[in-house]
Amino acid sequence: MPCVTWLGRDRGAAPGPLDEAPCSEGELGVPGLAQCTADIISTVEFNHTGELLATGDKGGRVVIFQREPESKNAPHSQGEYDVYSTFQSHEPEFDYLKSLEIEEKINKIKWLPQQNAAHSLLSTNDKTIKLWKITERDKRPEGYNLKDEEGKLKDLSTVTSLQVPVLKPMDLMVEVSPRRIFANGHTYHINSISVNSDCETYMSADDLRINLWHLAVTDRSFNIVDIKPANMEDLTEVITASEFHPHHCNLFVYSSSKGSLRLCDMRAAALCDRHSKLFEEPEDPSSRSFFSEIISSVSDVKFSHSGRYMLTRDYLTVKVWDLNMEARPIETYQVHDYLRSKLCSLYENDCIFDKFECAWNGSDSVIMTGAYNNFFRMFDRNSKRDVTLEASRESSKPRAVLKPRRVCVGGKRRRDDVSVDSLDFTKKILHTAWHPAENIIAIAATNNLYIFQDKVNSDMH
Amino acid sequence: MEFKLEAHRIVSISLGKIYNSRVQRGGIKLHKNLLVSLVLRSARQVYLSDPCPGLYLAGTAGTPMPQPGEPAAQPPAGWGEAPPPPARAAWPDTEPQPERPAATDAPQAGHPEPAATVTGAGDCLRRREEDTAEAAWGRVVGPRVAAPVGVSDVSPEGPSAGCPPEEPSAPPALCPRKRRTLRKSPAGGSGRRRKGGGERPRKAAEPGQICCDKPVTAHRGP
Repeated sequence: MPCVTWLGRDRGAAPGPLDEAPCSEGELGVPGLAQCTADIISTVEFNHTGELLATGDKGGRVVIFQREPESKNAPHSQGEYDVYSTFQSHEPEFDYLKSLEIEEKINKIKWLPQQNAAHSLLSTNDKTIKLWKITERDKRPEGYNLKDEEGKLKDLSTVTSLQVPVLKPMDLMVEVSPRRIFANGHTYHINSISVNSDCETYMSADDLRINLWHLAVTDRSFNIVDIKPANMEDLTEVITASEFHPHHCNLFVYSSSKGSLRLCDMRAAALCDRHSKLFEEPEDPSSRSFFSEIISSVSDVKFSHSGRYMLTRDYLTVKVWDLNMEARPIETYQVHDYLRSKLCSLYENDCIFDKFECAWNGSDSVIMTGAYNNFFRMFDRNSKRDVTLEASRESSKPRAVLKPRRVCVGGKRRRDDVSVDSLDFTKKILHTAWHPAENIIAIAATNNLYIFQDKVNSDMH
Repeated sequence: MEFKLEAHRIVSISLGKIYNSRVQRGGIKLHKNLLVSLVLRSARQVYLSDPCPGLYLAGTAGTPMPQPGEPAAQPPAGWGEAPPPPARAAWPDTEPQPERPAATDAPQAGHPEPAATVTGAGDCLRRREEDTAEAAWGRVVGPRVAAPVGVSDVSPEGPSAGCPPEEPSAPPALCPRKRRTLRKSPAGGSGRRRKGGGERPRKAAEPGQICCDKPVTAHRGP
């Protein structure tokens, strides 16, 4: 990235309730290594203006950060993200009929476009989607006739005159309340939700079905895609991600575990099992291995802001597709091709099943995705240059400049290069988000959230 | 030969994953298990197509030749790392399903001879499976084997055959061989619980053991 230098900001670490969260046994299974799995961030999402940033974690909590307004008095703290609200979105549940525990982990958060003073978002775990309304209260009425300051009822004999209660300013209080609960819509695990551009409907996708909901109706939904075969023995692929087109409310795309994308038009039929367009790249027979199917599974799909392109992420690459060309992607970027020879080990330690997300910048000129060792990658579509950066405590000190990193595969090794064998596969960046307009990015590295912004952006303020 | 070893190793790893998926929080993940079953199928195909003699086929003379029309051939008898089947409780039938015809149990006529040794082991496992299934649950839901590899020879494609069609969270490869009460059974469960000690010894449930307690060789006769 020749013209953009990335700076660290104060880490938006969520304090308070998260510190008291019970820590389950570390995922590494080593006694004494109490890695708090409940704090692992499972989704990150900016709202439409970029003013708010929501994160969901494995413990079912949602933490919302708000960008502080820039003030001339404190020029160094302009535009920082501070904790705005924290709430428990989902709790663990038990399905008694199937003897299954339903994880409280937040799989996805999607903001609704703001239509009044309140903010709304959808959060989902494996089975239930919830609509939350976030409101601010910064005034309270004082001077009641029947109640005193603490709210206790007054003795009526002491009331000698009437007064009109007056609104007085108070400390800002953020109130979050669940407005809708969309339950029992899915047999399989929900992997994605997407709000329609009509701002009235949204869809939720599980492994085999996609449902269309109205935001105001919780007791029913319409099934718009169903790829469940009549005989489960014939199952060959599942739905992995889905998204509505940003402008055309009738179009949506869903990706499959076979690496294909299907663009569907809801005007064509009530049940969109037959796609309007199928985007698929023929497999290269020379690179076939035991794991070809796994690495071709699409883990994320995102429309560009323009609506003209789609971005997909599979295990080793990110691809840009043009909606007008189904035969193959127009651009393919290697994220970490050095892992191609290590697929067997990655299969053994389950890393090959990691689902990385991808993101566009506001102008659709740069794409970003995460990798291992707390590295994340950015690809400039115009200059074709790419950069690898690391999200670490050192790099996130305020105003610290992120240094490009390099993974060396063999041959000449520069001083700061990281060798493939020393990559830490437990440090994975699965979730990233890019501010809709500015060069500010949010990177979730396990249970830490890093926020970076470019030097140009910072210097301007 | 290396391919065979590699394939066998991958099969072992895959079976271990399928086994472990039973105890994961949140239920069995359909996507992951589908991918694992695809890897399992690829590895099995490589294992069967490698022209080296099978490592574990006891006394087998030749190699089972791959059959184009038999994508779901039986695993060799010694493939004993098959884990115990996942808990049946995890996959209740949520939708009505057709019953599998018992005819699919019978090995298809016309299988060339080299495959007989392979199918022989599978037949043993299948018949055993059937007996227990019928005895325990009173209904044949289709042939199942301990190893979540395809059972039915008629199944054209897909991860595996021989399982109850409706698996809310698991592909057919993860056929439970018998219902295991790993969790506290809810009141009013499906009622297909095994009564008493069952006909299969408990030891068959432990990982790493061959899930057929009749000697395989006894069934390879004419």
